[in-house]
Amino acid sequence: MDAITIRNLTKKYGDGTVALQNISFSIKKGEFFALLGPNGAGKTTTINILTGLANKTSGDVLLFDQDVVRNYQQARSLVGLVPQEFNLDQFDKVYNTLFFNAGYFGIPRSQRHSKIESLLRELGLWEKRYSKVRELSGGMKRKVMIARALIHEPKILILDEPTAGVDVETRKSLWTYFRRLNQKGTTILLTTHYIEEAEELCQRIAIVHKGNIIALDTKNNLLELLERETIKVVLSEPLSVLPPSLKKYGAAVQHNALLLTINPKQNNFSKLLDDLRKTKLSIRKIETERTTLEDVFLHLTKK
Amino acid sequence: MKLTGFFALTEREVSRFLRVWQQTIIPPMITSILFILIFGYSLGSKISAVAGVSYIGFIIPGLLMMGVIMSAYSNTSSSLYISKFQGQVQEYLVAPLSYWQIIFALTIAGVLRAILVGAGILAVSLLFTSITVHSYAMLLFFIVMVSLLFSFAGIATALWAGNFDQMNIFATFLITPLTYLGGVFYSISMLPSFWGTVVRFNPILYMVDGFRYGFIGITDVPLWHSVLLVLILTVFFFVLCVWMFKKGYKLRT
Repeated sequence: MDAITIRNLTKKYGDGTVALQNISFSIKKGEFFALLGPNGAGKTTTINILTGLANKTSGDVLLFDQDVVRNYQQARSLVGLVPQEFNLDQFDKVYNTLFFNAGYFGIPRSQRHSKIESLLRELGLWEKRYSKVRELSGGMKRKVMIARALIHEPKILILDEPTAGVDVETRKSLWTYFRRLNQKGTTILLTTHYIEEAEELCQRIAIVHKGNIIALDTKNNLLELLERETIKVVLSEPLSVLPPSLKKYGAAVQHNALLLTINPKQNNFSKLLDDLRKTKLSIRKIETERTTLEDVFLHLTKK
Repeated sequence: MKLTGFFALTEREVSRFLRVWQQTIIPPMITSILFILIFGYSLGSKISAVAGVSYIGFIIPGLLMMGVIMSAYSNTSSSLYISKFQGQVQEYLVAPLSYWQIIFALTIAGVLRAILVGAGILAVSLLFTSITVHSYAMLLFFIVMVSLLFSFAGIATALWAGNFDQMNIFATFLITPLTYLGGVFYSISMLPSFWGTVVRFNPILYMVDGFRYGFIGITDVPLWHSVLLVLILTVFFFVLCVWMFKKGYKLRT
């Protein structure tokens, strides 16, 4: 049984805009999965349909085989959502926010305190438990939303741009925290437009563009889509004519540097070095650059 | 069926208005004292008894109903609207709460606040005059049904309203004038016949009249008209709330 199953999901808004065009994919139990895409691609719409914040137009969405519309109460109890926008009661205290939300998810009063304490301690917010939400910094509010999503120990955690507007240090500590949750068995679906975040955390990545999934694979397979290595040869003096023997490497001249690309799979690096030596150019240094997920992303979304 | 979530939301809603009791419970009591002082004491002595009841005894049931209506309506409408405005209403939507659980949790808080306010107004009234009760059953029926009715109406308004202006339209242009003109301060028999007919189109008149019957045992309009109208309106607003929640009206995109 998959944790999340999405079949032929379409979402059209009243004004005729199509946010999702017949998308299908599934996420296995225990996976750390990313939806990657520019703003407005349809990531948040997908999440909102999963969690009951948006109505689908057609298609099926199941969470551990529970339909999010027909069995909405069972489906909701399996998920914790950290939304992109702050949606906390600004006037209530951190502790009360968690206390009531634990209740909404059916946790008896007697069990709430210990759960709240351990979560707030893990996230470094225990000292702030009696502060009103509006008195907290942006990063702390984000952590309150994370604690709120985890209060009922959901099997699926959905993170919608969880580190937007968070400082570098907090971001790194949250990444560690999410990774640990995932290792303990929580299935995590993350949306992000920070490629680094998806690259760092996720096993599989779906690239969403204009309401479609244009690629879905493991990080390594996605990188292979654009498998090439760029070699930058910096010369001692500017070059006017490109040596014909380098043309097969797609050579380009940039000031006093030559840019060459090879496919590392074909293992022709030594051939390239031979060809370079034969040109008798005076070489100052050689740099190589690997494809990043960002290159793949730009390559795919440009099509 | 597990009701923990429902009780948690009810507790949140009740604690919300109790936490700010100075803004939610006290003001209607002060308003009522002012009306009793101005109309009951100073002017009331110049107004002859209405249907054999002193003028002050006549207006107290109306003032009580006024407080109940305003309290029930403003509790659910402002709580839900602020939740919507802050986005925090999403907490209810992503939780395994059913629609009716959300509606009833909000409504119970509205009814409770209305009854507390009603009891408060009754208590301050007792400082000025003695009060007799003709029918406890009718008092209970009208106080509970009318506070349910306006709690539902408040929920519907909060769901419909897209901004603060829209939020205040009904309270300012409908409920307040209809309440003041709803027979709180006069009996239909005191009006010229034309206006006596016009006021019969005001639903709040029936609520005030039926509630007053519970105290003094006398009505302007037949009691069963009032009972029936309150029942119909309550069911109407309840169905409207359920329909709006089910559809996710302005809650889910």
